Amino acid sequence: MSVFVLLLYVANDAFQPFSADMGWLLVPIGTVIIPSLATVSYYYTRDTRAGETATIALGLPVVSLLLTGGVFITFEHVVSVYQWLSILVSLVVAGGIVYAHSRVRTEADLERLVVVVAVPALALWFIPGLILSLPMLPTQSLTLLGSFVVPVAVVVGLFVRRQRENDRDGAIAAVLTLVGAAAGFGVAPIVGITPFVWMLLVTVTAVPVSLYVESVIRRGAGVSGLAFPLIVVGGIVASVVLTDALGFAGPTPWLDWGFLTNTPSRTPEDAGFYPPLVGSVMMLLIIVISAFPVGVGAALYLEEYAPQRGRWGRLVDLIEVNIGNLAGVPSVVYGVLGLALFIRAGGLGSGTALVGGFTVGLLILPIVIISSQEAISAVPDSMRQASYGMGATKWQTTRNVVLPEALPGIMTGNILAMGRAIGETAPLLIIGAPAVVRIAPSSFTNKFSAMPRQIYTWSGEIDAAFRHGVLAAGVVTLLVVLLLMNGAAILIRNKYQRRE
Amino acid sequence: MTQDSMTDPDSRTGSQSTDLEGSNQPSDPLVDSSIDAGQSGGSGGETRTVIESRNLDVFYDETQALQSVDIEIPAEKVTAIIGPSGCGKSTFLRCINRMNDLVDAARIEGELNFEGKNVYDDDVDPVVLRRKIGMVFQSPNPFPKSIYDNVAYGLDVQGIEGDYDAIVEKALRRAALWDEVKDQLDSSGLDLSGGQQQRLCIARAIAPDPDVLLMDEPASALDPVATSKIEDLIEELSEEYTVVIVTHNMQQAARISDKTAVFLTGGELAEFDDTDKIFENPESQRVEDYITGKFG
Repeated sequence: MSVFVLLLYVANDAFQPFSADMGWLLVPIGTVIIPSLATVSYYYTRDTRAGETATIALGLPVVSLLLTGGVFITFEHVVSVYQWLSILVSLVVAGGIVYAHSRVRTEADLERLVVVVAVPALALWFIPGLILSLPMLPTQSLTLLGSFVVPVAVVVGLFVRRQRENDRDGAIAAVLTLVGAAAGFGVAPIVGITPFVWMLLVTVTAVPVSLYVESVIRRGAGVSGLAFPLIVVGGIVASVVLTDALGFAGPTPWLDWGFLTNTPSRTPEDAGFYPPLVGSVMMLLIIVISAFPVGVGAALYLEEYAPQRGRWGRLVDLIEVNIGNLAGVPSVVYGVLGLALFIRAGGLGSGTALVGGFTVGLLILPIVIISSQEAISAVPDSMRQASYGMGATKWQTTRNVVLPEALPGIMTGNILAMGRAIGETAPLLIIGAPAVVRIAPSSFTNKFSAMPRQIYTWSGEIDAAFRHGVLAAGVVTLLVVLLLMNGAAILIRNKYQRRE
Repeated sequence: MTQDSMTDPDSRTGSQSTDLEGSNQPSDPLVDSSIDAGQSGGSGGETRTVIESRNLDVFYDETQALQSVDIEIPAEKVTAIIGPSGCGKSTFLRCINRMNDLVDAARIEGELNFEGKNVYDDDVDPVVLRRKIGMVFQSPNPFPKSIYDNVAYGLDVQGIEGDYDAIVEKALRRAALWDEVKDQLDSSGLDLSGGQQQRLCIARAIAPDPDVLLMDEPASALDPVATSKIEDLIEELSEEYTVVIVTHNMQQAARISDKTAVFLTGGELAEFDDTDKIFENPESQRVEDYITGKFG
C-alpha cells in the first residue's frame, strides 16, 4: 500500500501533470478516457470475446513497437547489420556442411558430434572476418533487407502455411512481408524516416499486428474488439489536435522522448537515459546467452539425470538445498564474487557489459535453476514413461518430451529472473560500472552503465531537479520495462495453461 | 502350480542370443526358437516361447512385489495376466521391458529371458530391449504433439529410415484409427477422445514394428464401446504380435486371451494355463474362488 503511494509520488514527479493547464488535462478525459471506458463496459457486459480481442489488439502493437525499439538498439549498438549478415552467412554455411555430412555419412555418430560442434565454431571464427573485409558491401538497408527481412518473411510464410495448411497463403504472406519492407526504399523518405527504420517497423511491428487482425477477422468472433485500439489512438490524436487548437499548454514532464534518447548531462533538462538503457539491454543479452543455458542445463541434470538415492543422492539433495540458499545470498556478495572471479582472476576489464552480465547472471542463476526445476518436475511422469516405453534414450526423452513440455514454465521463470537482473544495482557498483556513461557502449568490452546504476548516480546529485525529476523519470522507465517483462511472463503462462 | 515341471535350469544358458546388444536391426534372428518350442504346454505344443521368467523376485525397498515367478509366454498369442489389486501384475509386465529400471527402489532377482537372453544381464541395453517390446499404458498418454508426430515418435527415436507417411498410415490403420483421423493428422493427439487416444497409443507402440506388445490395463480408463474396440484390436494384433495384457476385468481376459496367468496377493503366480482351462476348471481352489468372485 505504502509502496503504491510512493509510486504515485514518483509518477507525479516524472510526469509533472499539474504543471499543465486545466484544459489540457480535461480534453483527454473527454476524447480518450470516456470513450474507452464506454467501450470497455460494452465489451464487459455484451461481448466478452471482443474484450479479449481488444486487450490483445491494444497490447500487441505496444509490445511489438517496444520490441522494434529493442531490435533497433541491438542493430545500432550491439551487432552492426554487417556483423549480423556475416554471422548469418557463417551459420548457413555451417548448417549446410553439417546437413551434407549427415547425408553422406549417416552412420558415423561420433564423427557427426565432432562435426556439429566444430564446424559452426570454425565458421563463426573465420567467415565473419572474411565478409567484413570485403572491399564492397551493399548499403546498410539492402543488407538488412537480405539478412533480416528475408528470413523473417520465410518464417512468416512457414507460420501461415502451418496455420492454414495452405501453401498459397503462406507464399502470399511471405511475399507481402517482403514487398512491404522493400517498399520502404520509396515510401520511407516521404514519411520522414530512414528505410532502415521502416523495414524494422514492417517486420517487427506491422507483421505480427496484421497477422493478428487477419486471424480475428477470419475467425469472426469478437471482431468488434478491434475497434478499441482505434478508439484509443483516435482519442489521443483528437486530444492533441484539440489542445493545440484551444491553446492549452501541456505539462513539462521529465519523462519524455528526449529523456529516452539523450545522453546524461550536467543540466537536468537535457539529461537522458539512452546509454544506460542500451547498457541494460547489452547486459541482458549477456545474461540470456550465459546464465540461461547453464541454469536450464543444471535444472535438467538435477531433475532428470542426477541420482535420487544412496550416497550420491544425498549429495544431490545437499546441492539442491544449497542452490536454494544461494538464491538468498545478498547481491553485494555476488558483486564481490564477480570482482574476484571475472576481473581479478579472469582478467576481464572492470565495469564492462561482459563482466556485468556475467556477475548478474551468477546472481540470478539459482533463481533460474529453481524455477526451471519446478517447470521440469511438473511434466507428468506418464509422458516420460511413454517415451521410454518407445525405446527412447534418456536424452531423446528429455529433448523431445520433457523440454518442450516444460518450456513455457521455464520461459516464465527465466523472464521473471530477467526482471530481477535488470533491477540489480549493488553488483554493478562493486564491479566498477562507471557513474555516468556519456556515449552508449558499442561493444561488450566497453565500460557500460545500466539503468539502476544511473538512477543511483542521480540520487547523489546536488541539484534537486536531478534527485526529484530526472530520478523519478528513470525509476518510471525501469518500472515500465519490468512491468512489461512480467506481463509477458504472465501471458506466456496463461496461454499454455489454457491449452490443457 | 502347473508350471513347476517346465523349469529346466540348464537348457538355455549356453545359447544366448546377442541380439539385444546394441544393434537395432528390425529383422532379428530368433536364435532360440527351437529350444523353446513345445514347452509351453497345452495350446497345441508347437508355439515357441518368447518370454520366460525363472525364479523372478521383485522388491520395492523391503517389500516383495513378486515371489519367484515362473512363466513362459508363447509367441503370437494373447496372454492375459489377471489378479486382485496389488498382486504384482503390472510389476511383472514392467519387468519384461525393464521399465522397473526407472523406479529407483526396485530390485530384481532371478531371470527373465526374452528370446532366450536374460534381459537383466549386464550387456543388455534396456533402450534396445524396449525397441523390441512395445508398451501401452493404463491411461492414454499421447504426447502433446500432432497425431502424425505421435505415431512417428518411435520411428524417430529409434532412427528407423523409410517412408514415414506409409508407416504412420499403416500403424493407424492397424489401430483402427485411420478413418477417424486421416483428415486431421496435424492436429494435437490430445484433442482426441479417450478411446481414440488409447488407440493412438497402440498405433504409436506398433509403428516401429516391435516383437511383443505389453498392455497395462489398456481399457480400464475407457467406456464399454471404446473398450470393445480395443479388445477387437487386440485380437487382430495377436495374429502378428505376441501380446501380454494385464487386466483386472476377468470377462475381458476370458474373451480375448489364449493363455491366462492368475497372480494372487503377495505377488505369487497361482496358476498359468490355457484361458479356457483357467476359467472352466482351475486346478487351485484359490484361483477358483477368485474367478468366481469370492474375493478380489
